[in-house]
Amino acid sequence: MTAIWDFFALPLSFPFMQRALFVALLVGAVSAVLSCYLVLKGWSLMGDAISHAVLPGVVLAYVVSLPLSAGAFAAGLACATLTGYLKENSRIREDTVMGIVFSGMFGFGLVLFTKVETEEHLNHILFGNLLGVTDSELTEIVIVSAIVLIAVLIRRRDLLLYCFDQQHARAIGLPVGWLYYGLLALLSLAIVASLKAVGIILVVAMLVAPGATAYLVSSRFERMLVIAMLVAIGSSVAGTLLSFHLDAATGPAIVLLQAALFATALIATRLRRNFANTAVEAAADPAAGG
Amino acid sequence: MSELLVPFEYSYMLRAMWVSALVGGLCAFLSAYLMLKGWSLMGDALAHSVVPGVAVAYLLQLPFAAGAFFAGMIAAFGMWGIRQVTPLKEDAVIGVVFTAFFAAGLFIVSLYPIPVDVQTIVLGNILGIADEDAVQVIVVAALAFAILLVIWKDLMLVFFDESHARAVGLNPAALKVLFFALLSASAVTALQTVGAALVIATVITPGATAYLLTDRFHRLLVLSVAIGASTGFVGAYISYFVDGATGGVIVTLQTLVFLTAFLFAPKHGLIAARQRSRAAGGALQP
Repeated sequence: MTAIWDFFALPLSFPFMQRALFVALLVGAVSAVLSCYLVLKGWSLMGDAISHAVLPGVVLAYVVSLPLSAGAFAAGLACATLTGYLKENSRIREDTVMGIVFSGMFGFGLVLFTKVETEEHLNHILFGNLLGVTDSELTEIVIVSAIVLIAVLIRRRDLLLYCFDQQHARAIGLPVGWLYYGLLALLSLAIVASLKAVGIILVVAMLVAPGATAYLVSSRFERMLVIAMLVAIGSSVAGTLLSFHLDAATGPAIVLLQAALFATALIATRLRRNFANTAVEAAADPAAGG
Repeated sequence: MSELLVPFEYSYMLRAMWVSALVGGLCAFLSAYLMLKGWSLMGDALAHSVVPGVAVAYLLQLPFAAGAFFAGMIAAFGMWGIRQVTPLKEDAVIGVVFTAFFAAGLFIVSLYPIPVDVQTIVLGNILGIADEDAVQVIVVAALAFAILLVIWKDLMLVFFDESHARAVGLNPAALKVLFFALLSASAVTALQTVGAALVIATVITPGATAYLLTDRFHRLLVLSVAIGASTGFVGAYISYFVDGATGGVIVTLQTLVFLTAFLFAPKHGLIAARQRSRAAGGALQP
């Protein structure tokens, strides 16, 4: 019993761990909510694209001493807009254009980074630095997360309809263009908030895995939201604590736990369906005989 | 003037330029197929998925290419398998699998430190590549190139006219597996030049650029390989002057070449299209 108590109590006796846990929880919750919409819309890899594309924005924001979040947000939106423009005006497929734009921006960001003297560590931007979140960063994360959560809460019905059936959304007079850019903006904001926790490359996991897991388990959207939140919050807490005890990297630990939950859900739903099939066959057999 | 020739005086620079050109050409070859089939993001996913294989290989002191290739193939089969049994969209499946693999790689590295910096795996470091790693890259790339030169026509048939391919006695399933094996192999080599995070550019951007310049597939292949190889060579050369970030320089160059083609391509470029529509609009007026 004391072992279990120590598992939680020991890390939480350190202020930096309390803060890391709080950030992991918040970021997990925000990205979980968005992941449900992204999985429905088929935009899972949009998160991948935008998260890589923020790098030049972060570096440039550092140069002109703006908040890094502002630079990241602008770069994320620029990536999405540029992708749309190039796709409209050439004969190249959307996924290819998206890949070209985000990898180009990421590559350019790397070149910029080597030319600029920054105090930021490239490793922290790439892989996150949950255990070293500062006060001002914490404030930023809380504000950004609050904005995303409130915006989604207010427009949750419209967003759902837009993600699920864009034609229908247009037909009943929803502002589809605004919803498109709104969702992109929310996505960019969520990525900005998650960068601190898991870094550029693993943000996409937080934006896909919880929603995908919930989608396997439930076909009702409200339930999906709740399950995604539980998956994200559970893996954030457990991953942070686990990484403390194992002395391992925090972001990857969280993502691995999410993947494990996804695998569990996959296997469980498969087994349940197999049982259901056998039950149906068993029920059908006597009827066929009689 | 002589300053511009300095990189050619160092053997490590010469090696970096030639290896980058070879790898760039190989990835560009595959890019012609990937971008037409709409599999662009598979390249990205495979490149990230090989990372745990690299980590374990360095840990056990095995050849990195073997570990990476093995991990890449497991990931590809994993994605294919999960895709068969769930109602999830393909992109979500790809997203979950490759991030899980990548996270596993970082997790392993954080537990058992390996002699190589993670940043080297994610961002590449062709200027500082170890001799035995360079040999592995050259062998794998040359082998993959040789195979591609033999089967490029078969692949074209299988990807763009499967029933015809079957009719002439090809085995589409086997060729597709071979293609993904080649893609994994090229991701493994590109890991050393541009790094896991930027492999995606090398396996789509040259092909997409060539697609804006020509309508014939064999010309597309030649152009694409030429763009990939030359940007690899020149990118490594320029990186001497900007102190590193070779991968970033190569990919930035490829993106610039793409944007140039997007604007100025003779038939499919933006400006040509604008002029055509203006000419058409002018013709309609009495």
